[in-house]
Amino acid sequence: MGFHEQIDALIDDTQRSLALFGPELALCGTIILLLLCRLVIGDRLSSTLVAFAGTVVGLVAALFSWSQVAGTSQEAFTGMLVIDSFTIYFRIFLLAFAVLFVVFTWRSGIPDREDAADFYTLALGSLLGMCLMVAANHLLMVFMAFEMASVPSYVLAGILKGRRKSSEAALKFAVYGAGAAGIMLYGISLIAGVTGTVHLPSIGASLANTMAADPSSSVLWVLGLGGLMVMVGLAFKLSAVPFHFWAPDVFEGAAAEVGGFLSVASKAAAIALLVRVAIGFGFVQEASAWVDAEDQSVVQTTNGVDQTSIASASGETTSQIFIAARIQDGNSASGQNSQDVQTTGADHQQGTDQQDTDQQSGDQQGTDQQGADQQTELTQPDESQLSPEQQAAEAERLAEEARALGIAQRREAQEVANESLGPVRTYISYLVGFLAAITCTFGNMAAYGQSNIKRLLAYSTIAHAGYMMFAVAGAIPSIGTSTTLAQDHISALAVYVAVYLFMNFTAFAIIAFLRNQTGSEEISSYAGLIRTSPGLAVCFSLLLMSLIGLPPLAGFAAKLLVFSALADSGLWVLLIVGALNTVISLFYYLRVIKAMCLDVPEEGQQVAVFPIWKNIDGWFIFLLTLPVVVLGLFWGPLREWALAACSQLLS
Amino acid sequence: MNEVSLLHGFLTIGALLFGIGLIGFLSRRNMIVMFLAVEMMIQGVSVSFVAWGRYHNNWDGQVMVIVMLAVAACEAAIAMALILMVFERSGKLDIAVHQRYREDNQPEYVDRDLPPPEDKAQVWPNLTPAGVEPEHDPEETAYRSHV
Repeated sequence: MGFHEQIDALIDDTQRSLALFGPELALCGTIILLLLCRLVIGDRLSSTLVAFAGTVVGLVAALFSWSQVAGTSQEAFTGMLVIDSFTIYFRIFLLAFAVLFVVFTWRSGIPDREDAADFYTLALGSLLGMCLMVAANHLLMVFMAFEMASVPSYVLAGILKGRRKSSEAALKFAVYGAGAAGIMLYGISLIAGVTGTVHLPSIGASLANTMAADPSSSVLWVLGLGGLMVMVGLAFKLSAVPFHFWAPDVFEGAAAEVGGFLSVASKAAAIALLVRVAIGFGFVQEASAWVDAEDQSVVQTTNGVDQTSIASASGETTSQIFIAARIQDGNSASGQNSQDVQTTGADHQQGTDQQDTDQQSGDQQGTDQQGADQQTELTQPDESQLSPEQQAAEAERLAEEARALGIAQRREAQEVANESLGPVRTYISYLVGFLAAITCTFGNMAAYGQSNIKRLLAYSTIAHAGYMMFAVAGAIPSIGTSTTLAQDHISALAVYVAVYLFMNFTAFAIIAFLRNQTGSEEISSYAGLIRTSPGLAVCFSLLLMSLIGLPPLAGFAAKLLVFSALADSGLWVLLIVGALNTVISLFYYLRVIKAMCLDVPEEGQQVAVFPIWKNIDGWFIFLLTLPVVVLGLFWGPLREWALAACSQLLS
Repeated sequence: MNEVSLLHGFLTIGALLFGIGLIGFLSRRNMIVMFLAVEMMIQGVSVSFVAWGRYHNNWDGQVMVIVMLAVAACEAAIAMALILMVFERSGKLDIAVHQRYREDNQPEYVDRDLPPPEDKAQVWPNLTPAGVEPEHDPEETAYRSHV
């Protein structure tokens, strides 16, 4: 393929991808507008307004893309991102959060007039990174999105510029983040190096091949270490124990607004990324993309793209070869057609040294050779080449073989491959499950003695990250074996994240509004709130009870879904840990409710007066508390939507 | 020298750099040195990425390195800004100074004694007198050890 065709293929791919990239483009545009507006127009146009308009446009674009992409899973930007309904579900979630966040910060007044443009630039930049995190399909993208989400949030944590406390929080966050990112990178380099690809689905295929060849290979230790190191980065983002140390300090030091941002958006993106990475490592996708590739001769496109960029395209063809190899394995058991694909690698080695004139077959050989390398792990890549005629014949034969393999056979191959990935899934599941159990328990225990409400909620978010990780740990073992069960888990997770948005974000909103009145964030300062502002106290109590998971509130529905999926999978240990933790968490949430409703304020203590019906702030709180009650009673539609969202995740 | 031994050599260097960086990150208390150690970790990763790319005969490794360096530079810039901000307020680069946030009932953690607070009188730079000396902010002199 010539240079021009490659460029054309790349341009086509970019145009197709940009059409799927609307919401992110809206965020990018808003960021640029925010920065330019101040330069050109000055103070006459409020930055808040620009940010609000931009996020609304983004949300609308995300909602449109739901119907646009429904039913398909597409790779964008040469395989860097994958746009499927799971991505769009989380995108809608993140952009809805962005809209609410802008409204909330407008009312609470933390970015003052001067800072507003910077504040929203940082927040939207971080959200852009989070949108990429949920769509990541490539280890490079995993890292980039991780950093894009983290770096602005370091600055956000220190947005209260005048205060020494705030800069301490930001500094701690940055130090932890830098260390975690470094360790995660090393894990990525180990995994990418050993499997020979950076494209997540290809990594699964490559792993399956390694496992099938030699289940006790010493290379697996390296991969295990790499997985552990990647988990360090993800655990930092999720604030999972033992990488949670930053969370309480940052939440206490940063403004409540930033706390809400970090606890909801950042956590949702991190848990989605965890799901993506876990599925990438522990699951071989059905090569449905392969059929298209053959039919529309995208093979040329993908190979062209591969040479000009880092794309996964080569990974895609590689995984085809893998699956072909797996099918051959399956067939040789029944006595047909043995070892054809396996021997091609050896054939190449006997080839002569002629110039590679036929580009396409050269590509074919390249990927094939890569396949052979990965099969035999760490063997030396050889530089020898075939004569053009032989190459052409070989390529034709391979392509024909590939076409001859029916969909049923492909499914069979996928099953065989997924079976051999069993130990990988067990490893990931144990790792995530163990971290989830200690995260949950530690978070709830540590929250018990807190006197500062933000610190208490920080530990509460740590515990909730644990509950979310339960769902991931439960989903992974059944990924290759029982798709419906795995979807149960992941849809429960999606519901949990959506419900968590309303519960936790509103709680932080209440904290910020009360802080604006009393200037205090101690639990004791809430004494007597029920008398001065009964509506607010009731809303806050409902949110806290929902965080505990008491019926009939939304928190209960979310926990019920997660736990019942765990019971279906027979993961009794995790179920018991989760149930015990729910009981432990009862005490510290109730302590806040007690302070509000029963305690008498001390002499001279200023108690906030916050009528819920009289101003926008009150209505904002009320309208955000409403879903917590409504979703607790009617969570059917949300669950249906979540199920639809993860329907393409495991195909 | 064949491919595998070349790979092993580079990977060893990469792992050593990463290890030294990690140890430095965990054991140093000077904030700037901590971030230097993080950079060293990332350089170690870069070396092993390039080695893997060479071994697999593709560009993936080098592309990763280019992106990584750009991201690491952003992170270092943010970190330096934060360190400067903290330094302006406290006048110290020691990370152990920053322990205001901790659990209520826990004492400050000190592995080796913190340097004593400097009680020297404020020394102003000795410049040729020009105009009237500005009034000093008493609050500012309280937390700033020097200018």
